[in-house]
Amino acid sequence: MNTLLAILWKDLVSEWRSRDRVVAMALFSFLVVIVLHFALPDVDPVEVRRLAPGLLWVAYVFAALLGLNRAFALELENEALSALAMAPADRGFVFLGKAAANFVLLAVVQFATAVVFGLAFALDLVPVAVPLAGVVALGSLGICSVGTLFSAVAVRTRYREVMLPLLILPLLVPVLLGAVSATAALLQGESLPSASIQLLVVTDAVFLIVSFLGFDYVLDE
Amino acid sequence: MTAIPDSAIDRGARALVLPTGILLAVLAGAWLAAVARAPLDSVQGVIQKILYVHPPLAFAAYAGFALTALGGAFFLWRGDEAWDHLARAAAEVGVLFCTLVVVTGPIWAKGTWGRWWSWDLRLTITLLLWFVYLAYLLLRSFTEGNERAARFAAVYGIAGLAVIPLNYFALDLAGGRSMHPENLQRSNLGAGMGWPFALGALVCLVAFAHLLARRIEVEALRSALAERVARAPRGLEHG
Repeated sequence: MNTLLAILWKDLVSEWRSRDRVVAMALFSFLVVIVLHFALPDVDPVEVRRLAPGLLWVAYVFAALLGLNRAFALELENEALSALAMAPADRGFVFLGKAAANFVLLAVVQFATAVVFGLAFALDLVPVAVPLAGVVALGSLGICSVGTLFSAVAVRTRYREVMLPLLILPLLVPVLLGAVSATAALLQGESLPSASIQLLVVTDAVFLIVSFLGFDYVLDE
Repeated sequence: MTAIPDSAIDRGARALVLPTGILLAVLAGAWLAAVARAPLDSVQGVIQKILYVHPPLAFAAYAGFALTALGGAFFLWRGDEAWDHLARAAAEVGVLFCTLVVVTGPIWAKGTWGRWWSWDLRLTITLLLWFVYLAYLLLRSFTEGNERAARFAAVYGIAGLAVIPLNYFALDLAGGRSMHPENLQRSNLGAGMGWPFALGALVCLVAFAHLLARRIEVEALRSALAERVARAPRGLEHG
């Protein structure tokens, strides 16, 4: 548990000092929102409500990929990744610390993106803010678990920036389907569909277990 | 040829190459004859004959992906390189069969449904699996160091298998409009169609076993060669 908090604290402090990752992720996802806006000129408000959940999650996934690609970049310098691997700590908790840091950074970016998204598409997200935050958190948990695991893999391959999306996008389909359908229900003014929430919870649990156990094998000896 | 690491999997694969090859040659002939003689479907016509090819290919593809995850899991558990030979060979052969599934399916769909593709539950899951195992092969070729590539790939192969039931649940939730014919039951097959179908399944599984054995043999030879080069006296590496 101490390992988790130590890694989380280390990542957040180093991000706070440079702020480069969060700024890059946020700018990128704002640009995605703007591009999406111009890709759909003259949509009426009813159509926007129908399309918005998918568009919002496209922006979230792109931002997450950008951030996750950098998650282990700092550790590569000065062989810090080897030091992490040799540290007398359970590697599963090292993983949880890294994943938690990614989750926090992504949450900050997601909040800012939601604000920009609401402005760009003239959507009032405030009335559904609380349940929406819950859905986004469940979605992010799935993205950050497999994302952190395979970020540690991709960072030590050739074409690392290309490798990460190729690895995790096909795995993220259940997360995205669950998150988009739950978001859609919220934007239509319905209550949260329990089947989508179940799907998200089960997927998060499976991904967390696989990543927690798998992380032991992706660090070098 | 002394003390080159050899394991039951590598030896077994080598022993299987010839018998599966002979069996395949015999069965493939019988299968072609059976398919040619099978009665024409009264509704679909000749395009129905894809039934003798498409589902058997899918059985082999799924067998490949299951063996990839199994081989990966045993590699992580036991650390024996031969399990990785199995996983890698099964992934490559599985992707080959899966590609054929994804190609033969739309040919039938265009003739019967009138369009090449539908976002049907089974089609989507197979497509996603295909992407997962293509990424698996890319990951292997983009990672330096055999042992590291094997570990990375094993973890990814297991994650790829774990996601199948989740996809099933997810796509079912998303509508799951299923147009794909249900799993075959004996009663669904017309008279005279059972035999060619059974033969097709057998041929594809034997072809899968044959290719798998050959691929494992290549992998075993490659690691034996690497071992010899590593042991060779300095300066003789290329001799």
